[in-house]
Amino acid sequence: MKVKVVTKILEANDRIALENRKLFDGAGIYVINLMSGPGAGKTSVLEKTLNLASGLKIGVIEGDIAGSDDAERIERCGAPVVQINTGGACHLDANMIYEVLSELPLRDLDLLFIENVGNLVCPAEFKVGENIKVMVLSIAEGHDKPLKYPLMFQESSALILNKIDLAPYLDVDMEKIRRDALSLNPKLKIFEVSCKTGVGLPEWIDWLKKQTLKR
Amino acid sequence: MHELSIAQNIIEIISEQCVRSGYSRIESVNLRIGRASGIMSDALLFAFDAIKTESVAADALLCIEEVPVSGRCSECNSDFAVEEEYILSCPHCGGNSFRMTAGREMDIIDMEVS
Repeated sequence: MKVKVVTKILEANDRIALENRKLFDGAGIYVINLMSGPGAGKTSVLEKTLNLASGLKIGVIEGDIAGSDDAERIERCGAPVVQINTGGACHLDANMIYEVLSELPLRDLDLLFIENVGNLVCPAEFKVGENIKVMVLSIAEGHDKPLKYPLMFQESSALILNKIDLAPYLDVDMEKIRRDALSLNPKLKIFEVSCKTGVGLPEWIDWLKKQTLKR
Repeated sequence: MHELSIAQNIIEIISEQCVRSGYSRIESVNLRIGRASGIMSDALLFAFDAIKTESVAADALLCIEEVPVSGRCSECNSDFAVEEEYILSCPHCGGNSFRMTAGREMDIIDMEVS
């Protein structure tokens, strides 16, 4: 007996993501799903953002396979933060986010960052209820990354190219990163920054404020 | 990389629907998986076989139809398919104003039950 199923495999996740989104919209928060490979500098970008984006009330959900180092770093910046440990899972999903939402003062926030598990593959596939996805790529990861991990570049609204202070020491073709990333996603907004020297961060903060306030 | 959790989702969806339709055994399941979905067919088959035991899908055969990445160019209006898992430019006019029209699928189509 043949039975029609015709169901998206991630339908259950997408349904919970939609519920999360309704909660965020109801509380008037803009939500960014922040993604990158391990060590690209997501948490450093957040620390700098928390220090520079005065006037925005920002909360953070930290996703890691194990440990609470990142949440402790965010807490030291004075922002409300919740740590999720996925216990091995390679990405955050909508239900993990739903489970911790009661621990954040949603109504007091303008902006919520969901820092995903460090991984250039899976996080792009699972909606968590975000308004936009933003990815971080450190130039030390190499100029081949857009074509090796196209989905994340296609799904993101902005790309933060971090650690550009390292450019003199690396054989990295930054123009190739820009060219391939824009070919994959012509609308991608690219910010070249160094969290170490601070260069490029004001442009990112300006854009972030505009995105958050225009919603 | 997350084929195991995808396999778990598939087993939950098909088991529920099998029982709801009044059957007790799933013989085969047909999926459509886009080449740009981030899913490796071999890894999904392996994960599915590893966790299907003790479910109504314990003997189920997973059949995967891979969907190539396709696009529509908004400069020359042509529809095209590519071999790669991404599109960088229109293969006809070289323009890079295009829309991906297929390749992200992750769908369960139907199944054979008894």
